Amino acid sequence: MSMIDTPMAVTVADARADLYGLLAAALDGETAVLAAAMCDGSLVDVAATLPVEIDASALEREDVDEEALSIAFDNLFVVPGPKYVPPIASAHRDDPSEPFESDSPFHDEGSAGELLGDPASTMSALYERAGFQPQRGEFPDHVAAQLEFLGAAARAEARALEDGDDERARAERFRTLQRETLGRLGWLDAFHEDVAAADGRDGVYTALVTVTRTVTAWHARDLEESDR
Amino acid sequence: MTDSNATHTDPGTERTDEPPADGIDRRDFVKAVGGMGALSLSGGIASTVLDFDGWFGEDGHGVGTEYGDYEASDVVYTTCGQCNTFCPIKVRLADESGTGEYSSLVRKLAGNPYSFLNTQPNAQVPYASDPEEVATGDLEGTGEVDVSKWSLSGGRICLKGQAGIQTAFDTYRLRKPMKRVGPRGSDEWQTVSWEQAIEEIVEGDDELGHDGLRELWAYAPEDEVMSDWEAVQAGELSREAFDERYEDVLIDTDHPDLGPKANQIIDVGGFRRNFIRNRLWHQGLGSVNSIHHAGVCGISSVVGNNRSHDGQKKRQYPDVENCEYLLVWGTNPMVANKGPTWLAPKLTNAIQDGMRMDVVDPRLSKTAEKADTWVPVKPGADAALALGMARWIVEHDRYDETYLRNPGEDPAADDDEPTWSDATHLVLVDEDERPKARADDLGLEADDPESFVVVDAETGEPAPADDVEDSLLDVEITVDGRAVASAWTLYRERVLEYSLEEYAEMAGIDVDLIDELADEFTSHGKRAAIMAYRGPAKHTNGFYTARAISTLQHLIGNFDWKGGQITTDAGYRTMSGRYELGQVPDGHEPWGIPILRGGVNYEETSLFERDDGYPAERPWFPVAPPMATQELYASADDEYPYGVEALFIRPYSNNHVMSAAGGDTIPDVLEDEDAIGLIVASDTVLGETSRYADYVLPEPTYLERWENFGTYPNKRLADEKLSQPTIRVVPDARPFEEVLIDIWKELDLPGVGEDAIPDADGDLWSLDTSEDFYVKLATNIAYDREPVPDADAEELELFEQAHEKGLGEHFDLEEWRDAVTEEEWRKAVTVLNRGGRFEEPIDGYEEAFAERGHDYDYAGRHPETNAYDGDHLRYRLGTRVDFYDEVAPTGRHAYDGERFDPLPRVEDVVHYNGDVQVPVTSDDEPDRPLQLTNWKPRTQGMNRTTGSAWLRETQPENAVWINPADAEERGLENGDRARLDAGRRTVEATVRVTGGIRPGVVGTAWGFGRQGGGATETTIDGERTDGATEEYGHAAHSFDTPGVDTSGYAKGRDAGFAVNHVQPLDDELGDVGLSDPVGGSNAQFAAYVELEPVSDR
Repeated sequence: MSMIDTPMAVTVADARADLYGLLAAALDGETAVLAAAMCDGSLVDVAATLPVEIDASALEREDVDEEALSIAFDNLFVVPGPKYVPPIASAHRDDPSEPFESDSPFHDEGSAGELLGDPASTMSALYERAGFQPQRGEFPDHVAAQLEFLGAAARAEARALEDGDDERARAERFRTLQRETLGRLGWLDAFHEDVAAADGRDGVYTALVTVTRTVTAWHARDLEESDR
Repeated sequence: MTDSNATHTDPGTERTDEPPADGIDRRDFVKAVGGMGALSLSGGIASTVLDFDGWFGEDGHGVGTEYGDYEASDVVYTTCGQCNTFCPIKVRLADESGTGEYSSLVRKLAGNPYSFLNTQPNAQVPYASDPEEVATGDLEGTGEVDVSKWSLSGGRICLKGQAGIQTAFDTYRLRKPMKRVGPRGSDEWQTVSWEQAIEEIVEGDDELGHDGLRELWAYAPEDEVMSDWEAVQAGELSREAFDERYEDVLIDTDHPDLGPKANQIIDVGGFRRNFIRNRLWHQGLGSVNSIHHAGVCGISSVVGNNRSHDGQKKRQYPDVENCEYLLVWGTNPMVANKGPTWLAPKLTNAIQDGMRMDVVDPRLSKTAEKADTWVPVKPGADAALALGMARWIVEHDRYDETYLRNPGEDPAADDDEPTWSDATHLVLVDEDERPKARADDLGLEADDPESFVVVDAETGEPAPADDVEDSLLDVEITVDGRAVASAWTLYRERVLEYSLEEYAEMAGIDVDLIDELADEFTSHGKRAAIMAYRGPAKHTNGFYTARAISTLQHLIGNFDWKGGQITTDAGYRTMSGRYELGQVPDGHEPWGIPILRGGVNYEETSLFERDDGYPAERPWFPVAPPMATQELYASADDEYPYGVEALFIRPYSNNHVMSAAGGDTIPDVLEDEDAIGLIVASDTVLGETSRYADYVLPEPTYLERWENFGTYPNKRLADEKLSQPTIRVVPDARPFEEVLIDIWKELDLPGVGEDAIPDADGDLWSLDTSEDFYVKLATNIAYDREPVPDADAEELELFEQAHEKGLGEHFDLEEWRDAVTEEEWRKAVTVLNRGGRFEEPIDGYEEAFAERGHDYDYAGRHPETNAYDGDHLRYRLGTRVDFYDEVAPTGRHAYDGERFDPLPRVEDVVHYNGDVQVPVTSDDEPDRPLQLTNWKPRTQGMNRTTGSAWLRETQPENAVWINPADAEERGLENGDRARLDAGRRTVEATVRVTGGIRPGVVGTAWGFGRQGGGATETTIDGERTDGATEEYGHAAHSFDTPGVDTSGYAKGRDAGFAVNHVQPLDDELGDVGLSDPVGGSNAQFAAYVELEPVSDR
């Protein structure tokens, strides 16, 4: 384990916890939260601080039509129609899968995945292990639930670090939880591509998922480096 | 697999010009996030749901961190015997065996991961998996405890199962054969050698004054005797000649139908019934009397279910995984009824997945706690609830008419229905026995003159059922001069006999609730089902009640449907195949009237005339198997229909003093040497029943012997469990079948010794040891269907190592191996190394498991599942289901000659003479106000498990549950001691005041209040041993408040009271509890009691 600059580590962990909370809310259909973050440009500001350049411009609007945002969200993530991109990890698995009747593009063998598949059970086991009950997302492997859990783990890490040397081992265990969760977010690659293909012209959710994917990738790399 | 891959493809261009991540960009990031006004809207992270201190607490549930590595040679798989669930288990042998007499200690007991029965909700390991990899947890797909909280190196086991170590290593185990000193039941014994015990059992003993089997046993074939008897009737043979020929052979030459004297030698056991009962008793001895536990168990339910279906169907179980609505009725599957390891996870998962479950039970059981609706029915009045539901369903046309109108298999198949009903079949209503009409009866031409008859919906004419596609339900006509009505018409009349309000009043349930249950039950198509067992059945009206509940399912035709009623005992062949284990060359054929008078019409026996017809001296059970065990001892006392000369009892599973209602009267009979001349008990401890024996022989516990326990009736795949000796705790203990082999050899009886077992080629094999039988049984299992793979050299070595470690000098590899051919041995080892055989959920399972792992429901979700065939279960009932039972009315009540009823019915719980004990339809007032029910304790298996201090620690004694309203009326508070007055007996008990029991009903767990199993003072060879009644080696403790665990220490083995000993005795008989004359069950919920405080607080 590398030496950690504790005050900075605490503030970064807290900031991540905050950001994950916001992203979880936005990807759980709380359009008021997303709208507010778009109107004040803060999401774009955050995106600008990330260690890779991404196009988050769709997330900056002076005037946001919340209803349109809500409709876009529903059609992308709730209604299993032609634009549907399931926001759950199980659906993006390619093995095993069973074809089923649906208007959505995610019904063919080899791409359908399933509901409450292995990723859900793995995440559920992880939550149970940590005594955590997700309030976001309908399923344990919903992107919002996973982000919420990441945030909770980051927050817990921050508090443990604040408590000093005695709690460093505890902080490390919370980092392990974050590592395991990030290890279960590889599906965001496929999710991002699918959202980009299905999203409307304004591309708000594509940009939101771009930010999410980048934040988690950076976080994963960060933890990897702290291990060296 | 995308979910486990942590590598992200970065979505943008990396800012290579940025400083390292620890630098200023982090501060920017923090600042930018801090500037997000929307954070206040998002609620941040919901820290309120988290208890940070609880994370990874040192006592975290479920995830162990400390464990010791072990290998496959430390493991032997067998079957648990702590309760009648009989889970496949893994015995992890201890590394150090110490210096005791035992061959090995047991480090731990766990579930067997090869069996799907013990890996719920996950899948089992593939059958071919290397035992080494399984034991070490290295098998690909097994899972890691610290990641997935589950590893298939072991399976599920319950608390009772784990305590099996204390059953095997009980201080009070019997160590030597013993002969009584002084009168029976005086608890004074002397040890004797096995040779002496066998010699005296065979030849008799002057000291105790009993005859031996050589003198007691005699046999002649039925056809020989009865042909001579007919010659006597025809005047072709003198009565004197007949008497002279048979006086030493028959029980009574005046009544040759009683059979040979061999029938007076009686076996009471249960376990190993295919060996001891079928082979040794029936065919070796030629005695009809080998009895198991059914009468004090759920036989009325079994018989009621069997009679409601043309095919073999003993029990009612749902396809839990796919069921939308489950009605649990008088059973507690979270705790019992094959529940703890198998059904509990299935039920909780199904509930989580949206299944609605309602539970009918006077008590809020562990299952009822999880129900949508708790239906606290009045005990004994379940049929009123069932027929009330049926009435609602009939009146609201909520039955599946298409299903019911199918007269036979072909039309049913056209509707994709695997089963069909007898609803449209016609009954000859004017005939005495009211049988169903056959084509021949009504002058109809048919390919099969025995074909049932229906009225063709197309022509309106009667026709053989085989020739009709669609038949009419409501029929009441005259055909060929004979009055007929459809089974449906008769059933409908029956359910309409009482109004819904009357049914509700009888059952003690609101009408609205009956409406709701019936509505819900009929709102899910085929995906509704019932699970019922002893609660409704263990009354004198149990048979009819089981029929009433069972036929509810006929109304929706849910049999064999996914999510409906499941009917599988699917297993592998055990008694035939490579070896015909059930065949005894030159064996005897048992005949004569069974002492329990089951399956025989009293009217057709010579006793009917002798005793002037009705009432018979004791009940007969003409339409049930001869298993009304509760009748045995009083029958012996009355010598009705004949006396018992020798009683061999294995009370480990048949401790009738404890398990029969009115069992407290049994010792009087056992103590009487005139009633039963010789009593031999084979037991692990000195139990309440074995205490009264002349000889008590030390029996190995289930961990030390062979067995092929029956399998589960509610599973979707086939399996066969096999127990084998894993350790030897008491060196001198001998499995009873081996003792019997020696006795049979002394008597030169068939079925043992040389040339005893034929193989498939007709060659004969000897039977000298248990292994001679059970290794062949393992081989039969191995070769059924597609034979199992051969054990390779490594597995053979492993087998030897593990058994040597467990059994030490008691393991004789050669003896085991020589029981079968060299070729067969390798397959037998494959079965033995896995504790049985377990069907895999899909073909190609090994590959799928390696790839996908254990946490996928292959049986339920995989498209190629072996459990389902489309919307149907693969293993099926696939037969007719019966509203109308034409067998029942072939039997008559032995008291008044009234024929039994072919239809479900609601009636009172009554004594043999018809006196009412529990009023249901009548208005009789019971003698005392509170009805007493009872149940299986959650943490005890049988009476046989109360020796375990671990289990007694969880519940030291049986409190009496009482509703707060009833408690207040009597000035009782939780934890008070109270006097429970049951009329003929009064006992003291602690009360538990709880809303979890129906007002007017009190109840308690059975199994407590022991006077055996280490609870009594015993003298062996002059040395006195105290009963384990005082604190059992623990510090002083108090456990005074039921439901509040204040101490955690066990009380003595005799704590609490025996609920069966406060059950009423039959008014007419006076020496036994009440019995169901149709199904044969002992009525065990029939007492009325009053409670009063023992003293002021």
